[in-house]
Amino acid sequence: MTIKNSPAEMADESRPVALTINGLAVSAQEGMTVVEAAWHGGVPRLTGVGCMEGVCGSCRIMLRRGDIVSVGLACQTFVENGAEVIFLPPASAPRHHYELSDFKDGWDIHARFQDIFPEAARCRHCHGCNVSCPKGISVEEGVMQASAGRFRDAGEIFFECVMCELCDGACPELIAPAHVGLFSRRVTAHFHLRPPNLIHRLEELRQDKLDKSVSYIDDGDD
Amino acid sequence: MTAMTKGIYFTEALARYRADSELGPLPEPVDVYALLNAYHPDYLRDSLVKLAVGANAGDSCQRELAELLQAEAFIDEADLAGTPVTDIDVLVIGGGGAGCAAALMAAEKGARVLLATKLRLGDSNTVMAEGGIQAAIEPDDSIQQHIQDTLRGGHHAGDPALVSIMAADGPEVLRWLIQQGMQFEQTTGGDLHTRRAGGLSTPRLVHCRDYTGLEMMRVLREAVIQHRSIEVWEQSPAVELLSNETGQKCVGAVLTSLLDGRLRIVRTRSVILATGGLGRLHLNGFPTSNHLGATGDGLVLAYRIGAQLRELDSFQYHPTGLLHPAHLSGKLVTEGVRAAGTLLVNALGNRFIDELQPRDVVCAAILRECSEGRGIRVDDGRVGVWLDTPRLERARPGLLEKQFPNLMTRTKIAGVDPRKQPLLTHPTLHYQNGGVVIDVNGATTVPGLYAVGEVAGGIHGRNRLMGNALLDIISFGRRAGAAATANRDRGPKKVTLEHVNRLRRALTIAGMPMTLRSPQVLPDYATGGAWNR
Ligand SMILES: Cc1cc2nc3c(=O)[nH]c(=O)nc-3n(C[C@H](O)[C@H](O)[C@H](O)COP(=O)(O)OP(=O)(O)OC[C@H]3O[C@@H](n4cnc5c(N)ncnc54)[C@H](O)[C@@H]3O)c2cc1C
Ligand code: SF4
Ligand code: SF4
Repeated sequence: MTIKNSPAEMADESRPVALTINGLAVSAQEGMTVVEAAWHGGVPRLTGVGCMEGVCGSCRIMLRRGDIVSVGLACQTFVENGAEVIFLPPASAPRHHYELSDFKDGWDIHARFQDIFPEAARCRHCHGCNVSCPKGISVEEGVMQASAGRFRDAGEIFFECVMCELCDGACPELIAPAHVGLFSRRVTAHFHLRPPNLIHRLEELRQDKLDKSVSYIDDGDD
Repeated sequence: MTAMTKGIYFTEALARYRADSELGPLPEPVDVYALLNAYHPDYLRDSLVKLAVGANAGDSCQRELAELLQAEAFIDEADLAGTPVTDIDVLVIGGGGAGCAAALMAAEKGARVLLATKLRLGDSNTVMAEGGIQAAIEPDDSIQQHIQDTLRGGHHAGDPALVSIMAADGPEVLRWLIQQGMQFEQTTGGDLHTRRAGGLSTPRLVHCRDYTGLEMMRVLREAVIQHRSIEVWEQSPAVELLSNETGQKCVGAVLTSLLDGRLRIVRTRSVILATGGLGRLHLNGFPTSNHLGATGDGLVLAYRIGAQLRELDSFQYHPTGLLHPAHLSGKLVTEGVRAAGTLLVNALGNRFIDELQPRDVVCAAILRECSEGRGIRVDDGRVGVWLDTPRLERARPGLLEKQFPNLMTRTKIAGVDPRKQPLLTHPTLHYQNGGVVIDVNGATTVPGLYAVGEVAGGIHGRNRLMGNALLDIISFGRRAGAAATANRDRGPKKVTLEHVNRLRRALTIAGMPMTLRSPQVLPDYATGGAWNR
């Protein structure tokens, strides 16, 4: 078994790595993430850093290595010599609006989806979303499933989505795949998640409430 | 106690490690209070001071926090002149789970809401929660048992009224979350799946694999963004609250912009503080599991305007923070991994504590192993113990991958596979047990000011059980959202900094140095180019 196969693992912390971040030359150490390198180099006004473990989706970057330009998350990207990094501004406000409480019932979802996300049906299968997703999600497939009304399956595809909205920025049809994913997950729970154990307990509590004698103040006997 | 010895080096310990080695029996349980006293960071003598001024003068408080509570403000009267003013029904400060729940509830009740947050909406501790949320929904569980577990877990320092309300809210909170569109793990029969966790008398932890916080946060974030009556200001930290002419009532806040430094005044009837915790203050020099914005700002703002705080000497150090790989230092391995049966093993290859004891006890036991030379050492500063994930993989193949995808994904980019290699862990500063004193509606001791979520205190006593934070933020977040909207006070005539002047006078009289300014807003290393591992 090999366990030393990544930059972080093989890092020799004494070895300097030169790169630029937001146009500033930074001398970092091998094994640092781009976030650490930016702090180390004193890059000013860095407002897009949050959890540092790849779940909040805030630290969106564009990265050039030689001829290759890509996007990703700074806390999940290790420094490389000669890399040029730009922290991207926050994504602009979403253009698709809906409130789940406006939906009639589960039969209404598909029609609503077509109204809210009319662009989704026009996906041109360019893979732009897949290429830009730092979580390796099959975004395009998710959009296809949602367009076909398979919201549960679509939502499952987006399970590891961290709301970075990099796919939204990549989509030439302005489909907003990230929000399609969240829509799919939300309608699945809102209309179909009806767990018997929870429902039973809620009913018991409702009965208790009618029967006013039950109180939940602890008498502190232990 | 034996003398400090070095422990065994990482590479050597890793080479020696076997997932199928014979583990000795658990040692006889030791006296819990003796263990805590000797090793838990809260009990370190020089980590505490007495507060000199304010509503908690005379109370014991963690030293680094006390410095911020008794510091100079950033804002004075001259700053307010000419600053643009926004009027709104309810101002929510902080865009984590508690803030979003409060905003949604206030909007549902008809208020126009402004939610201002320091970083990006959803960039929070909530998004990082993994293990789950507690609610007594199983047939053999009860609200009463939930209350008892919570009070006992908190060493009976919690407020029974708050605990009771929160536990009773549990099932309704789950229903509300599902209504917002949050998914949970289900059994084949469709029930919500429940897990065990440390300090729980029965399985009560409802979860979405090990992404419970991410699922909660992205759903609430989307619900807030989509809501017609909620406006969101990102990159807009609150740096001061505003009071009425007498300094007795909260009537708004001063926000700054991280992008251009410009100030804005918000005037309102009700302010809901939902700024979360303070892990990024790195109390007692510990690493932290918290997100970058967790700098205790809410405590500072509340204290300066006169609100009472509690348990300022009690923090949760989560037993299993990662030590390796280095870029994840302090990051969490959820307790769910231990709840699923993973053991803790020291450098000698022995178990040393019942892994599902309350967190403070497990934490103290790990620190004891490290300081008595039975730890595994990365370098001079960093020692830890194994979290024996490969043994779990042997016993229950596939479980790690299926139940803990978050853990697998995070370690993968550093080339570490927890199914093959045990994880090196050390306690990490995780949670602020105490906070602002509140009633069952999240109201603080200062009229017009509410506090919900990690910034509030009184629920978890001196030790929080896993899954109770995610419950508390939604339970009290919703309650405060409703109560703040119902506050039909006429609203401010005048906004002042009278409370700041009051504290400044008190500090002067007490002869305190006013060299430091607070709130901190961001850790120094994230702004000054001072980062080093
Ligand atoms: C890694 C990790 C795992 C956890 N796992 C669990 C778990 O499994 N179960 C559980 O119950 N609990 C868990 N917890 C605890 C729980 O997640 C938190 O206590 C809870 O989510 C706090 O919610 P909150 O809304 O109060 O604060 P947060 O979610 O932290 O939100 C606070 C928000 O306020 C903002 N803010 C801060 N200061 C200011 C300011 N001055 N002005 C404006 N905005 C500001 C922050 O940027 C942030 O967006 C975990 C915590 C961590 C860190
Ligand atoms: S699906 Fe889109 S928003 Fe979600 S993680 Fe991938 S790129 Fe980011
Ligand atoms: S980027 Fe947009 S158009 Fe291209 S495949 Fe993805 S969803 Fe379709």
